[in-house]
Amino acid sequence: MAKHAQLNNIDHAELRVRTGYGAALGDAAMWCPSFPHEFRNLQPYYPIVFSKDAATGGFRPLALFGLEDGENLFLGPSSDWGAEYIPLAIRMRPFLIGRSDNGAGGRQMEVHIDLDHPRVSETDGEALFLEHGGHSPYLQEVSKLLAEVHDGEQGIGRFSALLEELDLIEPFTLDVTLNDGSQGRLAGYYVIAEEVLYNLDQQALGRLQAAGYLQPVFMAVASLSQFRGLIDRRNKRLEDR
Amino acid sequence: MIKDIVIVGGGTAGWLTAGILAADHRAAHDDGLRVTLVESPNVPILGVGEGTWPSLRDTLRRIGISETEFVRRCHASFKQGSRFNGWRTGAPGDFYFHPFEAPPNPDHVDPLALWRAAPDGTPFAEAVNFQAALCLEAKAPKQVVTPEYAAVVNYAYHLDAPAFAALLREHCTAKLGVRLITDDVIDVLVEDDGCVAGLETSNNGRLAGDLFVDCTGGKALLIGGALGGAVRDVSHILGNDRALAVQAPYATQNEVIASQTTGTALSAGWVWDIALQARRGIGYVYSSRFCDEDRAREELSEYLARVAPAGAVAGGDARLIKFQSGYREAPWVGNVVAIGMSQGFVEPLEASAIVMIELSAIMLSDTLPADRAVLDAAARRFNKRAAYRWERIVEFLKLHYVLSERPEPFWQAHQDRNCWPERLKELLQQWRYEPPSREDFTDALEIFPAASYAYVLYGMNFQTQRRSVLRRRDAALAARRHVDEITARKRKLISGLSKNRELIEHIMTRGLSRV
Repeated sequence: MAKHAQLNNIDHAELRVRTGYGAALGDAAMWCPSFPHEFRNLQPYYPIVFSKDAATGGFRPLALFGLEDGENLFLGPSSDWGAEYIPLAIRMRPFLIGRSDNGAGGRQMEVHIDLDHPRVSETDGEALFLEHGGHSPYLQEVSKLLAEVHDGEQGIGRFSALLEELDLIEPFTLDVTLNDGSQGRLAGYYVIAEEVLYNLDQQALGRLQAAGYLQPVFMAVASLSQFRGLIDRRNKRLEDR
Repeated sequence: MIKDIVIVGGGTAGWLTAGILAADHRAAHDDGLRVTLVESPNVPILGVGEGTWPSLRDTLRRIGISETEFVRRCHASFKQGSRFNGWRTGAPGDFYFHPFEAPPNPDHVDPLALWRAAPDGTPFAEAVNFQAALCLEAKAPKQVVTPEYAAVVNYAYHLDAPAFAALLREHCTAKLGVRLITDDVIDVLVEDDGCVAGLETSNNGRLAGDLFVDCTGGKALLIGGALGGAVRDVSHILGNDRALAVQAPYATQNEVIASQTTGTALSAGWVWDIALQARRGIGYVYSSRFCDEDRAREELSEYLARVAPAGAVAGGDARLIKFQSGYREAPWVGNVVAIGMSQGFVEPLEASAIVMIELSAIMLSDTLPADRAVLDAAARRFNKRAAYRWERIVEFLKLHYVLSERPEPFWQAHQDRNCWPERLKELLQQWRYEPPSREDFTDALEIFPAASYAYVLYGMNFQTQRRSVLRRRDAALAARRHVDEITARKRKLISGLSKNRELIEHIMTRGLSRV
């Protein structure tokens, strides 16, 4: 179970965070949330698809790492991640974004941590605080990362709402046949509706452009060629086995 | 060539017909049909909260209205069937459901075998299907992630009719290319061959057209007034002729929104209770032969005192509507087609009004003659289909009354077999030995399928003899397996579906996605 706490230099003075990637560090996931501003960096490696949030009915973009639950084809025997760009939502683990009143009527962002996350340790990994309580360079990097995620998260609702309004999201099913003849189906995800995209009128294109979504939308379309990459990675695993 | 369609009347019938014709026949394009609707500035729409059938979902999608917008604009809520209170004896606990979901495929398991395999005392509708249980819990028919018009369980809507007509008007004129003329028709110009050549209007002169659709309601300005077509009166079968309609608020903002239309039997008729988002439409349908208006208002007050917040509304606030059940045997004459109340009207039991509009408008659209040369053939086909449907509706509505054991004179009068349709008599005799089957209702687009009849019959405690020679589909083992499946499905749906009100609130704030 996750146990969230606001990070502070008294309770958590001795905490360390294990870096690197692997199933033992909680990375054996088929996908992670993604943000439009990182689509360009994601698209050379990961298919960008959308899922429907069970609580709100709204769409949100994901980067896919595998073809079935719990499968991350970017993990290997070493602690490296098998791609040059690692999604923000993976890099922020085990930290979370909290918010509190800033005393002036607004909300301010706080760094929270999941104390039960396998990355959290008191013996090995990167230190969070310096000897006298200051932020370690690692924690400073984390803070910047969280700020970026926070900004990205703010825009997700508007992004998805505009795509929906323009009918740019459609259901997607992928039937996969692997080299060993086994068959599988990936279903329940959504992608950018290319036919609709290529037939948008100038006004609709203008709205995408003005909102800064034109490039992310085309990056998401381009990313679908990475399904080939996922299938190749999966086939390679079969051979190595 | 048939190019110009003129629809007279702007209620639900007029605008639904306009929407279906304009969407199917590309009225917004030069090479499409030209659709004109003439709406009187002076005729108010006769609108109470109305119930619909699941076909409306297909119809709305067909004409391109988003479900989110429809639910928001028409104050709509979700309807999963009907509940009948007190129709059999009026004793406490006397109620049954007629849900939209059908029992399992009768080729696999006979509905009566299924019922007998359920625990003793389980009502028929709850034994053979999961939907009555969802209605008892005021559940929504879908989840927030279910796309527009898609269903987890089959559903229709309760809607606010004037708001619905306003939404259709806006959609038809802004998106579908329907031309709206706000004017009164003062004369109908009939040619020697019995076809209508045009309409004389107060301010827009003469309107010509190739085909006219009469959606003028009970007035039947074209089909009745100008062409003199006769109405087949069925008031000797369905004698209700008055309705006292009223709106009741909810006691609190969070009061449950019922998942079905509730019809409660009173001494000389029944009360409809239709849950919209912020209020309920309630009305007493009764027979003036058995009850005068004052007495009816008192009975309605008693009902309201039981179900509405104290002092909010009483029978004295209700609007009186007079009607007579009947339909036109020939709703299509020459180049005039009657759709809506001009075609026919029976009492609102089982919500046949809007579904008959949809079916008529869809048939007109699907079979729209390309040329006047084939008008007569199209009319014959249309009239045959319409008559078949009206006969079935009258029989099905009558069925609700004939099995009652209530002692009041109104209910006892329904026992008089002289006022039972012949076909219904034969079927009731047949059903003593076997349940209703699809062989009894063979139309491809039957309004009420065999399952609907079964829900009413066995809800009213009708007895069908137990078979002594068993067929494969009567096997007890298979029936028990189906009972287990239905029980499991019921449990899963009850935990997975939110309350009606929660889904509606989600649609109001966030909307449903189209995919």
